[in-house]
Amino acid sequence: MADIFKDIVEKKHYSFIDGEGVTWQEAVRLSLLPLVEDGSVSEDFHEEIVNCIEKYGPYMVFDHNVAMPHTTENAKGAFKTGIGFMVTEKMIDFGYDEDGEHKEANLFFTLSSANPDEHTDNIMQLSNVFVNDDLLDALQAARTPEDILKAAEDFPCEE
Amino acid sequence: MAKLDNKKLLACCANGAGSSLMMENAIKKVMKKYDIKYGELRHCSVSEGKSAARTYDVIFCARTFAKNFEELAAAGKTVIALKNVMSDKEIEAALQEADLLD
Repeated sequence: MADIFKDIVEKKHYSFIDGEGVTWQEAVRLSLLPLVEDGSVSEDFHEEIVNCIEKYGPYMVFDHNVAMPHTTENAKGAFKTGIGFMVTEKMIDFGYDEDGEHKEANLFFTLSSANPDEHTDNIMQLSNVFVNDDLLDALQAARTPEDILKAAEDFPCEE
Repeated sequence: MAKLDNKKLLACCANGAGSSLMMENAIKKVMKKYDIKYGELRHCSVSEGKSAARTYDVIFCARTFAKNFEELAAAGKTVIALKNVMSDKEIEAALQEADLLD
């Protein structure tokens, strides 16, 4: 199984921003910039994801302030399967979900899916990451690519 | 024989690409823990799920999508709406509450 964090760092699919005054729509766009730059997704791919969240609400903002913005498999503008990893200094506000719960995130895994097998592999790994609280804490404190790799090494996920 | 043996399970999310797959993963963990030999487990989008749901025994979805399956639930289909789609613990508790685990 490929290591998503190694992959994120090798492909430079990461960003670290302050996030002050940044809307969630803008945050989704920013998290995808490295993927736009290397041609993994089109410049307007983020709009697909924003539309999806606007339609269904922020149900993909999970516990521990982790967001996994995504849209359908093989969406328009998704050329390669990848993950836009982003850490923000300030919380990004996603508003309220149906139950009236306030959703905010400072850790983004924005997904692009062009290949079902690779995408499934990413999701399976992420579902183990999202229940690993120590790893999430370390990732939220990460400010450099080295920090990402160290976090993944220090707090491995069960397979 | 376990209550869920040979049953058909369906996990649905908005697009059938992200959280439904996570749900499927979490459901598998519970099935393994209870040594359940379910008949089928697949994930899909809510819109596909709505038409396919009749042929399944248990439908799993995020709470946001529960209203899509209200009619089926009223007709007696088991619909499990989850707060945290990745939580095998929540799935386990919900199945226990629905008296589907043994």
